[in-house]
Amino acid sequence: MNESTLIPLISASQPVSYLWLIPFLPLFGFLINGLTGRRLRNNQWVNGIALGSVAGSFLLSVFYFLYLLQLPESSRSLHQSLWTWFDVGAAQIAGQRLTFATVEWAYKFDVLSAAMALLVTGAGFLIHLFSTGYMEEEQKDFRYYRFMAYLNLFVFSMLNLVLGSNILMMFLGWEGVGLCSYLLIGFYFNKTYAGDAAKKAFVTNRIGDFGFMLGFFLIFMIFGSLDYDTLMGSARSLMALPSITLFGHTAAPTFWMNLIGGCLFVGAMGKSAQIPLYVWLPDAMAGPTPVSALIHAATMVTSGLYMITRLNFIFVNAPAALHLILFIGALTALLAASMGLAQYDIKKVLAYSTVSQLGFMFMGMGAGAFTAGMFHVFTHAFFKACLFLGSGSVIMACHHEQDMRNMGGLRKYMPWTFWSMLLSTFAIAGIFPFSGFFSKDEILWKVFEGWYEGGTYEGSTLYLSAWLMGMVAAFFTAFYMMRLICMTFLGNYRGGGEDPYHLTVPGDTHGHDAHHVGTHVPHEVPWNMWVPVFILALLAVGSGFLNVPHALHFLGHAYFSEWLTPILYQVGAATEGVEVVSKVEYALMIWATVIWAPGAMALAYWFYAADPSWSRAKTFVKNYPNLFEWVHARFYIDEFYEALLITPTKRLAGQLWSFDTWVVDGMVNGAARATLLFARASYWFDTYIVDGLVNFVAWLLQQFASLFKAFQSGRVQNYAFVTLLGFVLLMLFKFLG
Amino acid sequence: MSSFANTLLMLTATFIPFAAALVLLFVPKDRSGIIKKGALIGTVLSFVLSIPFFFAYDRTSDAVQWAQSWSWIPSLGVRFSVGMDGISLLLWLLTTFIGPIAILCSWEAITERLKEYYIWLLVLQTAMLGVFITQDMFLFYVFWEVMLVPMYFLIGIWGGPQKLYAAIKLFLYTLAGSVLLLVAVLAIYFLQAKTHGTLDFSLESFQAMAPVIAQQTKTYQTLLALAFFVAFAIKVPMFPFHTWLPDAHVQAPTAGSVILAGILLKMGTYGFVRFLLPIFPTAVKDLMPWFIAMSLIGIIYGALVAMIQKDMKKLVAYSSVSHLGMCMLGIFALNPYGFKGALFQMINHGISTPGLFLAVAVVYDRRHTRMIADFGGLSETMPIYSTIFMIMTMSSIGLPLLNGFIGELIILQGSFQAFPWAAVVATTGIILGAAYMLWMFQRVMFGPISDVNRKMTDLTPREMVVFAPLVIMAVWIGLYPRPLMEIMDRPVAKLVRQVNPDYYLAPSASSDQEKAKREGMQGMVAPGTDENSNLTETSEEK
Repeated sequence: MNESTLIPLISASQPVSYLWLIPFLPLFGFLINGLTGRRLRNNQWVNGIALGSVAGSFLLSVFYFLYLLQLPESSRSLHQSLWTWFDVGAAQIAGQRLTFATVEWAYKFDVLSAAMALLVTGAGFLIHLFSTGYMEEEQKDFRYYRFMAYLNLFVFSMLNLVLGSNILMMFLGWEGVGLCSYLLIGFYFNKTYAGDAAKKAFVTNRIGDFGFMLGFFLIFMIFGSLDYDTLMGSARSLMALPSITLFGHTAAPTFWMNLIGGCLFVGAMGKSAQIPLYVWLPDAMAGPTPVSALIHAATMVTSGLYMITRLNFIFVNAPAALHLILFIGALTALLAASMGLAQYDIKKVLAYSTVSQLGFMFMGMGAGAFTAGMFHVFTHAFFKACLFLGSGSVIMACHHEQDMRNMGGLRKYMPWTFWSMLLSTFAIAGIFPFSGFFSKDEILWKVFEGWYEGGTYEGSTLYLSAWLMGMVAAFFTAFYMMRLICMTFLGNYRGGGEDPYHLTVPGDTHGHDAHHVGTHVPHEVPWNMWVPVFILALLAVGSGFLNVPHALHFLGHAYFSEWLTPILYQVGAATEGVEVVSKVEYALMIWATVIWAPGAMALAYWFYAADPSWSRAKTFVKNYPNLFEWVHARFYIDEFYEALLITPTKRLAGQLWSFDTWVVDGMVNGAARATLLFARASYWFDTYIVDGLVNFVAWLLQQFASLFKAFQSGRVQNYAFVTLLGFVLLMLFKFLG
Repeated sequence: MSSFANTLLMLTATFIPFAAALVLLFVPKDRSGIIKKGALIGTVLSFVLSIPFFFAYDRTSDAVQWAQSWSWIPSLGVRFSVGMDGISLLLWLLTTFIGPIAILCSWEAITERLKEYYIWLLVLQTAMLGVFITQDMFLFYVFWEVMLVPMYFLIGIWGGPQKLYAAIKLFLYTLAGSVLLLVAVLAIYFLQAKTHGTLDFSLESFQAMAPVIAQQTKTYQTLLALAFFVAFAIKVPMFPFHTWLPDAHVQAPTAGSVILAGILLKMGTYGFVRFLLPIFPTAVKDLMPWFIAMSLIGIIYGALVAMIQKDMKKLVAYSSVSHLGMCMLGIFALNPYGFKGALFQMINHGISTPGLFLAVAVVYDRRHTRMIADFGGLSETMPIYSTIFMIMTMSSIGLPLLNGFIGELIILQGSFQAFPWAAVVATTGIILGAAYMLWMFQRVMFGPISDVNRKMTDLTPREMVVFAPLVIMAVWIGLYPRPLMEIMDRPVAKLVRQVNPDYYLAPSASSDQEKAKREGMQGMVAPGTDENSNLTETSEEK
């Protein structure tokens, strides 16, 4: 702890010594590309550095993952401290105690961070690879090296977030990914909407950070530390306390945990786009598509989930906070999924889908099923990254067209992309045996279980309503995804002039360049684009088997949940024994995968593919115009915020400025003016009163003197006469008196 | 003892700029190259000589180091006494660091009456450095006032269209505060003469008056404390004493803004830490709710007003009001986190805000306008510039990996320990901070570019040299703040003992008891054993 060495000595005997390279390799990549990219103008070099650094991180992560695997379960945690970051001194915390906690710049590679590191570097590498193809046009100008450098910086930040060994390191990464998100959303900075979207993302996230910061201030005040190991170690003893006194307020530990949990969840709302702070994510699609895949689908937006899982020892003890999470998650899942139903922009559909899926994950967290929620993070990362990259390929093939009404029939031009996206669609819809089935159904089941309670149906109805919302959201999900597939890949290609039903619309400008409506033919993308998409699709298909629920134990094992066990806080004694598998669970599974999701997909097919003129869909819209309008306009929530928050803030700022100019500064200038006025008055007083008095005295003296002036004639005769007169008078006094 | 030689070195570093100014007096005014180089050499030499003090500072002691004292006006008890503790050392170093930057950024911008300009700049530099090394109230007051004169001329002669208004406003406003300060200083001086029968202007004796002052009537204490408060609050500036700042910043030449934001404002916060709090711990506690309210208003109000500014310099000026409000909040928390955070914030603000003013100057030099609306899309033609602007923006917003984060976080944690609700309000300031800075960044750097702006060229090598040290410092403090933290460690602990004596008496975990003892008990006699002992009488290096 008191080591003053900056970079630890690297010794081969200690495998942990290289841990720091996992996040730092991408940082080096960022620095090299950022500093030399502009001068060298060599895209091969830029690619080599960017991909190489992430690949290096990935390989190191794999190495350490394997290293962890061969360790006994209880000791699967590596720790490397680089230097002391914060050493502020004494702090007075709960119960009037003093603490001298320091915060290390340290990395921790345990079961959870290992899984996340693999995801970030693995998916990150694939998306970097995809970018080398997708950003073809940018490679011609100066911007490309910046893009790759930002991507590397993002990977560095994200790895800090997941590998940091304390909350401040997480916060460091948390803000870092926010910055990269800002830079990458605003990558096409000469487009006004990109700049707006970037700023919106950053500021909205800052609102979340506000909650996050208060959350960890409270953690520090109650636990006296920010280090995960210390926190988890002291959680149990804290919960055993009868009460905790802080700021003169005494309350049960649960109260404080609820407070912390609530604050932290506000942070998660920002980063992971939950109601009411989700509004930035759909706008964030202004960034290049690989960014949407990497940052706004697979990794960064799951930070909130990671945080909750990491600090599960707080949330387990915070029932009210969990209920809030469950409710907000369910509401977000439903609302966002419904918004996805009526979008035409292919990326917007996927954006709302992401918000909705994140809602599912939070539902899992809220139901206390941290591993289930976390597993959905993984499967979602695969299928959503695949879908986003696939949509990127589609957009590129259609020459920067993003409106699905101008696509169609792409299946025959882009088979790799089509099949990859179709598989991922099955996965997200939750069709057995694709991965989404295992993760989403597990979440829904856990939520249902909260109400079901082993067959008694006595749980809180909150669980039941959340489950119902989740089921509806799942139906919508399957619908809008199938709609996307139908509109994009099935039917005829409408962009090439062949448009018998007049479905196309003038291009949206939400691409990076104005699209060229022409008679070009779409084409499959180059290998460095479809290969990553295809790999992700394979993962989306197969990864479900990594966490097979107990009910389906004949198919496999819940490897993932077991892997994460060491970081989970066990409530009371560890629950031993086998889970009771009920018929209800099987029934729900069959219902979901055989009737519910396929039904929604069939409906979408019936609307958009079975009827190439979309007359059914059009009739529907005609019959319910307001409904469609509201959903399409995302319930006017952005406008609501604008009117309720942003405009009043700006107005207040304007008023305050007037106040500053006229009142505060007015007083200063007023004082100056008053002084001047007073000075003038003084001058007047001085001239007419003070000096007047002086002059008056002088005048008086003069008048007085003029009385005697007459005597001062200068004539000797007069003086002699007066003298004689005086003499006579004196004589008279003398002799008569 | 070599300590004497060290003191001489410290004085040399302080007075070299002044010496350079004297030399420049004899240089013909048309030899602009020599004048500029002379000024640069003077400040760089001062900076180089100041660096060893960073390493030589004894981090285990809270005493004033390199202390020396010479008799000056014996009949009044005025001494020329100098020395530094960690707090003054850091600000002193910041001043020597900013000096060459101020010279370099004037290099091409100043063409008229060049000789006078650099002479005033050098005199100002020495005056500011002097404030931080003095250990005598009288000497402090001399430096404090002398500082004002060069600033007045810098703004009044080389400023913008309303330079005279701004210069006179700055001068008179600050002077009004200074006069109050002088009255209060004299009051304490005579109180001391009455109670102890000594004539002494030394800082130490003033701080030792704290218990005596605490015994006076409440009105007396409050009035004196308020006199100090107003003097320093104007300099900080705290709401509602801030309106001279936007005018001064907008009218000042770039170097003036850099020094104003970088150093001059810190005189106010330094005054709080050095004088107001240790001399009036009791009165301060009584007035605390007002002080906190003013800090909070400053944070939110400054940010909101910054948001709608159309002039970039004015925006940055109002952001200073917000940042320094944060700084004051940390100071008023009266705990180690608050003080250290505030000190960090002073240093950080002294790095990022000059950086922002310099960034504004870059586009001003090219376009002769500072209106946000005149720009847009500069990222396209000025990539290096936009990167540096981004770094400075992020540093100002308080993004981790950069310096601003360290200060803000520690301040918020410290104030959260002391008054959680105020900290909650202050934390909303970080949202607004991001909003106004990014909005400006977006309007200047993003969006379509106009033809006029397309002709603007990226940074010249000289400009890069100006920015480089600021960027390096910003990253260094963000990544590894510990060296600075160590320097402020002991002095801050001493300060906490002076103003919040019970702080270290709280129980601590067994593993921390040793540390609590070390920080809390150093130089402290057990309370109640000796009447003459008080918390401020620490063993000082003689």
